[in-house]
Amino acid sequence: MTFDWSVVWQHRDVLAAGTGTTILLTVATMAIAVPCGIVVAVLRLYGPAPIRTVATAYVELFRNLPLILVVYWAFYVLPILTGLGLPPLATGLAALSLNVTAYNAETFRAGINSIRRGQVDAAMALGMSRGQALRRVVLPQALRRILPVLASTWVSLFKDTSLVSVIAVAELAYVSMQIRSQTFRVLEMLTAMATIYWLLGYPQAKFVDWMQCRFKVTE
Amino acid sequence: MDFDFSVIADHARFLASGVGVTLTLAALSGLGSLVLGFIVALLRLYGPRWLKAIVVLYIDSMRAIPVLVVLVWTFFALPIVTGLTMPPFIAALIGLTVHLAAYAAEIVRAGIESIRPGQTRAARALGLSPAQIVRRIVLPQALVRMLPAFGSLLSITIKDTAIASVIAVGELMRQSETVAGQSFQPIEVYSFAMLLYFLMLFPVTRGVDRLYRRVAHLGRS
Repeated sequence: MTFDWSVVWQHRDVLAAGTGTTILLTVATMAIAVPCGIVVAVLRLYGPAPIRTVATAYVELFRNLPLILVVYWAFYVLPILTGLGLPPLATGLAALSLNVTAYNAETFRAGINSIRRGQVDAAMALGMSRGQALRRVVLPQALRRILPVLASTWVSLFKDTSLVSVIAVAELAYVSMQIRSQTFRVLEMLTAMATIYWLLGYPQAKFVDWMQCRFKVTE
Repeated sequence: MDFDFSVIADHARFLASGVGVTLTLAALSGLGSLVLGFIVALLRLYGPRWLKAIVVLYIDSMRAIPVLVVLVWTFFALPIVTGLTMPPFIAALIGLTVHLAAYAAEIVRAGIESIRPGQTRAARALGLSPAQIVRRIVLPQALVRMLPAFGSLLSITIKDTAIASVIAVGELMRQSETVAGQSFQPIEVYSFAMLLYFLMLFPVTRGVDRLYRRVAHLGRS
């Protein structure tokens, strides 16, 4: 058995580009899924009855589906629904956003619910409207509480971006496996892929631990 | 747009076999990660110091690497290292178990650490041995607190088995891909697969939500 690790260095540009796409997907998905998650959570808590049902159904559906299936589904169904030929990257982004929005909505809902009712009552007694009480009293406190949960969703999302490789989005997992099949250096490329994910993911996992200590809820 | 769902009926047996493999893989890797998770957590909490460092590295590494990468590495690269080839199902079982055990270990650790140290001290004052303290004081209380988190892990396990399709394990995701590819009706097939996964997962997550409410007061001390 001889290993030739130079193959990793030879493809450094492609791997770097793949890593860039992975990070881009993570950031873009979170940028979409946080505001959308807040909207869905607020609709689910305060919206009119039919909208509440739709929001609940959406959250429950996407929490109960494997992401890889959502990715395939988006790849085949989105072009037909929208009539647009979306590039794989946009399809992957859509699938990830649909999934993470559902999780974020649940996180925000739990965060909002964790703020005691008395606070809203007090805010309204002081003459604030419901919207003001939500925006200025409940959300700022809820946000602080759910930061650690959002951080751990972030790490899961970072790892889950690897799943869009099945629809040929050129992120880290896809490019590594492409190089593997072109060069037949299986062990080298797969180990390099795992190592790059580890180097990026390990500090993030440690950061989540730190967040969980830092923002521990004490009442 | 016309949809023709007869493709589902035509391949009902094939898809059902996929459901069977999904459930078997989920049950085995769920059980495996539970056992391994307990061992790892106990080593982390009570093991010798040099072993603790290794165990922490293992847990944090698994939290940092995607399941897809673990599965692909186990199936394609591990045989090169060991010289043994293995069928996809076994590779998936090993990969999922090793990955999920890290999460199970964190659940076990959190459960055990949530039992106040005063209880351990009181037990020691009463003359119980360390093993007795863990077995008779700490674990019975900690187990109740771990239950809901294990439920969540079960639903994650079922979802993660779908990723085994990437290494050609004939579970529901893979079988759906095959049918979709042969029949050129991906929308019907994948939508149906969504329904099946939802039917498998929804009772689990609902059960977990219930468990959270039912068990919460039992774990108080």
